[in-house]
Amino acid sequence: MLAAPGVAWLIGFFAVPLYATLAVACGTDDVNGDPRPVWNPTRWSLGRAAVPELGISGDGLRGVWDGLIDGTFGDPMLRTVLYVSLALALCCLIGYPVAYYVARHGGRRRGLLLGLLLAPFWISYLMRMLAWVNLLQPDGQVNDLLRVLPGLAPRDWLDGGPVPLVLGLVYGYVPYFILPLYAALDRIDPSLLEASRDLHAGPVRTFWHITLPCSRQGLLAAAVITALPMFGDYYTHDLVSPSNRTTMIGNQIDQFLRQSSGQRTGAALVIVLATGLAVLMAYYLAATNRASQETG
Amino acid sequence: MTRHPRERPTLSRRRFLERSGALLAGLWGGSLLLGSCGGDGGRSRSGGGPAVRSRPDRPVTLPLVDDPVPDGREPEDGPLSVFNYAEYINPRVLRTFERRYGTRVKVTTFNSMDEARAKLDAGVGDFDVFFPTPDVLGRLVAKGLLAPLNQTYLPNLRNVWDTLADPFYDRGSRYTVPYTVYTTGIGYRTDAVDRRPEEYDNPYDIFWDRVHRGRTWLLDDDREVIGMALLRRGVTDCNTEDPDLIAEALRELRALDEAVSARLSASAYEKLPSGEAHVHQAWSGDAVNARQYLPRGTDITDIGYWYPPEGGGVIGSDTIAVVRGAAHPVLAHHFLNFLLDEQVALENYRWLGYQPPQKAIDPDRLVADGFVPEHLRSAVVRPEDFDRGCQLLQLSPEGEKLWDAAFARFRSGG
Repeated sequence: MLAAPGVAWLIGFFAVPLYATLAVACGTDDVNGDPRPVWNPTRWSLGRAAVPELGISGDGLRGVWDGLIDGTFGDPMLRTVLYVSLALALCCLIGYPVAYYVARHGGRRRGLLLGLLLAPFWISYLMRMLAWVNLLQPDGQVNDLLRVLPGLAPRDWLDGGPVPLVLGLVYGYVPYFILPLYAALDRIDPSLLEASRDLHAGPVRTFWHITLPCSRQGLLAAAVITALPMFGDYYTHDLVSPSNRTTMIGNQIDQFLRQSSGQRTGAALVIVLATGLAVLMAYYLAATNRASQETG
Repeated sequence: MTRHPRERPTLSRRRFLERSGALLAGLWGGSLLLGSCGGDGGRSRSGGGPAVRSRPDRPVTLPLVDDPVPDGREPEDGPLSVFNYAEYINPRVLRTFERRYGTRVKVTTFNSMDEARAKLDAGVGDFDVFFPTPDVLGRLVAKGLLAPLNQTYLPNLRNVWDTLADPFYDRGSRYTVPYTVYTTGIGYRTDAVDRRPEEYDNPYDIFWDRVHRGRTWLLDDDREVIGMALLRRGVTDCNTEDPDLIAEALRELRALDEAVSARLSASAYEKLPSGEAHVHQAWSGDAVNARQYLPRGTDITDIGYWYPPEGGGVIGSDTIAVVRGAAHPVLAHHFLNFLLDEQVALENYRWLGYQPPQKAIDPDRLVADGFVPEHLRSAVVRPEDFDRGCQLLQLSPEGEKLWDAAFARFRSGG
């Protein structure tokens, strides 16, 4: 009985939508090319492979498979993995010290500091990304600054390259990285740190042997929480760097879902991406499980 | 599916929400869209046969699904429910209509034709008036979603250009009256390019010119982008389904990317004034509307627009129709007729920037009356442009997949 809300949530927001997406991805087209979902799993189809010599393009799951091989989806997929990895690394470099500082040295101002960290996020994602476009414009404030500083030269940030995109991802998602990490760092038992000091470990060794291992779960949770939405992100690309050189897999999904004739392929892409992410999730759950067994 | 000038992908919040919605729909099967596609459940879907695909040389008389409203009825009290693109009608024009008919007009907006079709098909909204594009008419009528018009309520149809008063996509104006016309051409910054498009051997070569690397933008739409590459090669049929021609266009577009690293947007009206774009594939209305977005120090003469002076580029027109089963069909007819009135059309254009195909509104008058600056005369559509221009129309399902796949390959940037 107590599990009912959870079960209802899972059915309503996971099972049914996943089933509907599968029904579209593995469905058929009507006479006019509009998608027609097939609800009976025994009649699901894998779609059609492309026959380039005859000018026949693939669709559904087979079309996605072809696209992964010929680069239509493969290149954006690789790029997405690369950008998300870079953005996660940067989130870690920026987020860890911030979370560490707030948890360890925040003192009574902790609430204020957390509030300040979150304050920019009262503004819509759209506005914050467009603000970056203004900052990075050829005559924007970033270049104004570079012009003044010795030894640095302004450059064209918005030339369609990946720099503003990765920057946008980091800026957009870093608070979601900091918060779980802060919670983990905050939970570390101070007596462990005192014990470390009593045993003549310096700050570096204490960090390395106590703080970092104790915050590993938080780090992993932060990485998962930020990586999952980043993998599906498409509007950061659209807003700051809408060039083909930085197309992510989310953009290809968006492209196909926008036109009725491509919705089957779009839905199949969603399924493939979700499967990939499920593998990542499984690793995370296995890791948490192992850790709780070790400590418990 | 062609992108419409009123879709604003990068800047409009509405559009942003719509896209998030699209992704959600993909992730958890947006009930509206998918519900409407149900094989046995859909009310109107059951009757949907194959849609006829019109072409200028293959005009279509759409089949009558119903009898039109009888003559001589009085308009209903309303309120009139209108289903339109966002920001695609002057609010003052609506107020005038309300005053004249003592009624209320309620506007519901959509962001893409596919979204609108899905909504109409699902039977939500109880709309009276809808603004379809010609490419979807066949499918809308096949599914019985539009009501035939009774022309005795539409005397102002005689104000409309002859080519569009009896158009190939709807012979006899059985379901639609024309609303706006526009062309797709080359928008550019006169102060930033060395050579104007007309100074190239082939004006479209400006998109391939390495000089504008990082400053070249294309419309974020498969039909417009591939269609432009076809036009450059002298292929005048922008609705071709020849795989070799599409493959050739794709090769050249990838060469374009190699040369200038193009970016994609549907907001030339904003990218050109800001200077982000020096060259931007653009709609005629973008050039006219750019003046509202000029930063200080930039003059409207800095914005240029090229469309083949002898015609032969991509051209578009929008229509207005009455929804089948409308609660206020006579009032809806009066609304269509009202929008075809010359003064009303002009008032609407002043705000909209997209031109009504009215006989009395010719290019000279628009320039003389200051609606369009002299140097942007090329952004004014002339009736004869429809004789040589190519309209992006409904492809066969196979053809659509072919274009989709080519564009996705282009977008992948590999």
